[in-house]
Amino acid sequence: MFDVIGRRKWFYLFSLAITVPGFIFILLTFVPGGKLGLQPSIDFTGGTIWEVHFANATPDPAGVKDVLIAQGLPDSTVAITSSTGSTGTQCQYVLIRTIEIGLREEPSPSPSASASPSASGSPGASSSPGASASPSPSGSAAASPSPSPSASPSPSASSVPTSSCVSNSSTTSTGVPTDGKLGALATALQAKYGPIDGVLQQSSVGPVVSQEVTTQAGFLIIAGSFGILLWVTFRFHDYRMGATAIIALVHDVIVVVGTFAILGTFFGLQIDALFVTAMLTVIGFSVHDTIVVFDRIRENRIRHKGEPFSAIVNHSILQTLGRSINTSLTVLITLSALLLFGGDAIRVFVLALLIGITSGTYSSIFNASCLLVDWHQWDDRRRAAEIAAQTG
Amino acid sequence: MRRFLPFIILIVGLLAFAADFLPLNRPFGDTTSPIATKLGLDLQGGLRGEYQVVATDTTPVTPDILATTATIMEERINSTGVAEPIVQTQGTDRISVEIPGVSDVESVRKLIGSTGRLDFVPIPSGTTVTAGQALPSDLVGTQLFSGDQISVAQPSFDNLGQPQVEFTLKPDGSKLFSDWTTANVGQVFAIVLDGNVVEAPVVQEPITSGSGVISGNFTVDSMNSLVTVLKFGALPLEIKEVGFLTISPTLGSTFLEQSLLAGAIGISLVFLFMLIHYRLPGVVACVALLYYAMVVYALFRLIPVTLTLAGVAAFVLSVGMAVDANILIFERTKEELRAGKTVSAALEAGFNRAWNSILDSNVSSLITATILYYFGSSTIRGFALVLIIGVLMSMFTAVTLSREMPRWVVRQPRFRKANYYGVKDDEFTIATAPTRGRSREANARV
Repeated sequence: MFDVIGRRKWFYLFSLAITVPGFIFILLTFVPGGKLGLQPSIDFTGGTIWEVHFANATPDPAGVKDVLIAQGLPDSTVAITSSTGSTGTQCQYVLIRTIEIGLREEPSPSPSASASPSASGSPGASSSPGASASPSPSGSAAASPSPSPSASPSPSASSVPTSSCVSNSSTTSTGVPTDGKLGALATALQAKYGPIDGVLQQSSVGPVVSQEVTTQAGFLIIAGSFGILLWVTFRFHDYRMGATAIIALVHDVIVVVGTFAILGTFFGLQIDALFVTAMLTVIGFSVHDTIVVFDRIRENRIRHKGEPFSAIVNHSILQTLGRSINTSLTVLITLSALLLFGGDAIRVFVLALLIGITSGTYSSIFNASCLLVDWHQWDDRRRAAEIAAQTG
Repeated sequence: MRRFLPFIILIVGLLAFAADFLPLNRPFGDTTSPIATKLGLDLQGGLRGEYQVVATDTTPVTPDILATTATIMEERINSTGVAEPIVQTQGTDRISVEIPGVSDVESVRKLIGSTGRLDFVPIPSGTTVTAGQALPSDLVGTQLFSGDQISVAQPSFDNLGQPQVEFTLKPDGSKLFSDWTTANVGQVFAIVLDGNVVEAPVVQEPITSGSGVISGNFTVDSMNSLVTVLKFGALPLEIKEVGFLTISPTLGSTFLEQSLLAGAIGISLVFLFMLIHYRLPGVVACVALLYYAMVVYALFRLIPVTLTLAGVAAFVLSVGMAVDANILIFERTKEELRAGKTVSAALEAGFNRAWNSILDSNVSSLITATILYYFGSSTIRGFALVLIIGVLMSMFTAVTLSREMPRWVVRQPRFRKANYYGVKDDEFTIATAPTRGRSREANARV
């Protein structure tokens, strides 16, 4: 029979070998000024993602970057993405990531907005009711950092026939913004590359929301772990099982977050709000496996009274090994399919689940159960020492 | 209980089938709306805006103000005729707006986000105001009256075909307007929307009729949006857009296709694995999984749960977890078979022993999913809800179909072959009277 428990030092060593580098890279995230470690997406930092299609041109990233710099947005990235459009033609889109520029700025009646109260008497601006004309407010925000003075009734975007690449199901507008900084950027890009005929996506996260998402992420993971600790302790009437389950869980969290810190450092892979969801799911699943093994340990302790605890644990691990591997395998099959065919939007999410669930199966067998044996042996030794002290 | 089990399975199955595939209307509540699959913004395109109500020095954000603001926003959106907008208040000062499949993102966005405060401001002589620019700061707060004095507002066109807005004032406003225009012929007054001058005409003659026309530089869209804003009133406090997301239907349908394809491939591979590895019980597991998927999908349609990209992933994941229950039962049954039990007894023992693990492990998933649901943002909640339903239903399937179907299968003589169950012949014992196994055990105990 394979001796898992006897080799536990090697398994601990392996776990350390994969968690320690990850942990170091996680800590690098907090080095001020550096760009190492985890790469948070705009969900955590705030910012704007804007993906558009140009009717007649596929701009080069460097050219778009020049426009961004001219607009005062040097910290931006530009990428060309492509997919097959509705009529089977290959479509190329421009994906721009910048600081937050896409949120609507309500023209506030703040005193700073100064239309100079100029000289006397002349009813210069006046006109008879019904015939007033005003300069078109669109684009006037281009140079001003202050809220755009455009009044609400502003002309909507000019009508451009939509191509097969973006169907915005709209007849009047392509959804290209005309106001604010993003509107200015759109105007500048259209001046250079011709009309934008569709916005594939725009996502803007302001500081209020990003701050919230960040604090929420920490809270969710801590609350989730705590809930699991309570449940395991309650079900097994054994704090040692609860604690070792949590250690295995922390192991899995470090493995996943560490992997993304490493991938972020070297490949710029970003983590988004869904990553937090993936972490919580991993936490639930990790304990899933641990519970199945612990359940068997509990059962076998009653059945095989008198056998050494390490033998019981080893036996339980081997008995549940088939189930643990098969279950993880089915989950990994579905996740691999999602990873390969599910598209970019959930790739990070699925990858996090994939790594976490693999780690969860490993840690429940080779960490949680082994640590439980060590803890029991330590308790036994202590008790023996106490008895020896009393009798001797 | 055991006697009713097959009927429960059958009835739930039939109801789920009906909800999944037949064009039915909702049985409870809103009986006019059909049972349908609801897709989230990321799968069908649309916009989502998150707004913060901004308190001023004098007015804090109260729950009343928050609710009023949300109602006005909802009325404004509804007036554009878009389908099924969702306006929700969140926390103490937040309002989120989701509009699926919206056609004209920018104009809807302006309509939602503008405070909609219309002021009639007398301009003292010596001050010049220009349409399209902010009202000079020293005139802020000097309005004669505001938009709440407008009783009727409607779109119209002037004789050049230029869009404009006709309005009629309430008695109070009408009197103020009449008095002021009578005393100030030749003076300028400004019509100001959210702090910006829309137009600033000279009073040509006293306006005593209590009605008039606003003619800024309108388009048909902006005219309609001003009429809407006037109709439902101004927001009690200014709101600030703090988050915004728009996804085109093109991208949405790409996401939908990709996730459906990935889900289908993933689930097919799991079926294949179960059939190859577990043989006959694998067939049982696949049937149980199909049943599970049917019931879960029916619940998604009935509740209804809005399916997002993360939700589809959660569903696929939950199929993996539902398999877990079956695997636990089968592995346990195999062990019991090898320990010398008869098929039926091994099955019962396998189920009973596995149930503890199924319950304990699923509760841990439920705990994390519930925490996600209560404290998460809306994307996270969608995922969590799918996971919760998935886990609960996988437990339901485990105690019903995954239990009852093997009982039936082992009673069939032609299914009693060792290699159907993945064990060796000498490990396989068939009870002489499997249906009486229970009573015999009971006798033996006595």
